[in-house]
Amino acid sequence: MSNDEKYFAGVDVGSVSVKAALVSRRQLLVSELAASGGNYHETAQKVIDAVLARAGIAFDRLSGIFVTGLGAASTPFSARQVSDISCHAMGSHILFPSARTVIDIGGQFTRVARITPQGRVADFLMSEKCATGSGRFLQVIARILQVKLEEIGPLSMQSKKPVEFSTNCAVFAESETVSRIAEGAQPQDILAGVHRAMASKVSMLVKRLKMEPDVVLTGGGGEDAGLVQAIGNALGIEVLVPREPRVTAAFGAACLAETGI
Amino acid sequence: MPFAGIDIGSTMTKVVIVNETEDILSSVIGPTGAEHRHLAFQVMDAAVEKTGLLFESLDFVVATGYGRINVPFADKQITEITCHARGVKVLQPTVRTIIDIGGQDSKGIKLDAEGKISNFVMNDKCAAGTGRFLEVIAEALGIELADMGELSLTAETYVNISNTCTVFAEHEVTSKLAEGAAIPEIVAGLHEAIAGRVVNMVRQLGIEKDVVVTGGGAKNIGLVRAIERKVGFSVLLPPDPFLTGALGAALLGRDFFGRGMRRDHKRAAEGVTFFQ
Repeated sequence: MSNDEKYFAGVDVGSVSVKAALVSRRQLLVSELAASGGNYHETAQKVIDAVLARAGIAFDRLSGIFVTGLGAASTPFSARQVSDISCHAMGSHILFPSARTVIDIGGQFTRVARITPQGRVADFLMSEKCATGSGRFLQVIARILQVKLEEIGPLSMQSKKPVEFSTNCAVFAESETVSRIAEGAQPQDILAGVHRAMASKVSMLVKRLKMEPDVVLTGGGGEDAGLVQAIGNALGIEVLVPREPRVTAAFGAACLAETGI
Repeated sequence: MPFAGIDIGSTMTKVVIVNETEDILSSVIGPTGAEHRHLAFQVMDAAVEKTGLLFESLDFVVATGYGRINVPFADKQITEITCHARGVKVLQPTVRTIIDIGGQDSKGIKLDAEGKISNFVMNDKCAAGTGRFLEVIAEALGIELADMGELSLTAETYVNISNTCTVFAEHEVTSKLAEGAAIPEIVAGLHEAIAGRVVNMVRQLGIEKDVVVTGGGAKNIGLVRAIERKVGFSVLLPPDPFLTGALGAALLGRDFFGRGMRRDHKRAAEGVTFFQ
């Protein structure tokens, strides 16, 4: 990589995984992702080192570095902290300039933001009170079904008759899942039912915020094709998904480091 | 003349048999399990056997609880709210407010001076504020549900649990544990959280003395104390908190019989044969 090129990094320290992105002229060069584990400090260092090593540049060649996420305060290097929402917004905006609504479905929280044509946050809502609209719901049910997280989407899309849960509570749905298995329900139908329940909760958030297309889905939820489809159906539009949805906030942080807040 | 009430809850099945003077002849508590119907009859059978009578000699059977429709040998299905009110009227006639904390729901019932229901509220949509919340967390902490009450009383302070959702609270509790919080203080914090949630819900009705706490939640002394702190005075507890609904069902059976309703022995026998 050329010597007069300016490089910017973004690190997103999430509850489930830590992501790093290296950017130059708003282009994603390299990204890395690692499980957060118990030591955010160490993991953050690890992912930023990995990104730099892959790009073949030294840490002091970085012109700027921004951090975001739940554990943004525990990074070993000094960096400016930015909110997750503004990073998701900026990341989505650069990837999809037509984006006006961003849905981030992370490991623990779900956030919905309306964004301006410049990629700034106009308004946002968060679901932190209840697990139903969050990735945790899927993790809980996938654990019972012994389905790997990456298999959830393809499996759910094979469902012909999604299970209708009698409850919206993730805890009650967990016991209902057990009884449904006993009655002979298939894993794909249970997962499709969970996707529907999540999609209805997420679409409620989106509608409360007054949805404006295009809608982008970021975070781990974007990797679950079954969930993407269910949310698209619930909203009645096609949902756009970045190629690496989990890295969106890290990418957005790096872009914010480049363009300034 | 014996009358039976059967209360099929999400976790336990309870049967009470009374005579015409409202004395309890026998009571049995068993698990509900996935095989509801079969277990319901087993618990009923055990209760009848304790009285030394035969199932055929029961003069009326009332079923209640969330599994009440699965009792084909019952003559009538009545909601647990009505049954709770009827049970409390006999056990503690001074009660005006019932707080029932069950395995899968929680309720508030308001009674007038005659013991009639004037209003009620219920949460069965969300596990927060129900027995399930405690069950899930007990498992995460590796302790027994039955020990939680006493354990929390040994705490001098409590850990604030900020999450309402059981799933998130489970995660929060594990982190608190990792940060070095003591188990009794965490459990005391959980009781505060549930008590706050349930009392706030019942406040919609206006909390009036006397207050009785029923259901499995009443077995947890730490939770009961937390509820007392929130309402600001002492609450009453039934002799056996699990049995209020089943007792009410049995007494309602007696009331129906008194009004001339009779048991359909043929249909009941068919209902029983089905399970044998």
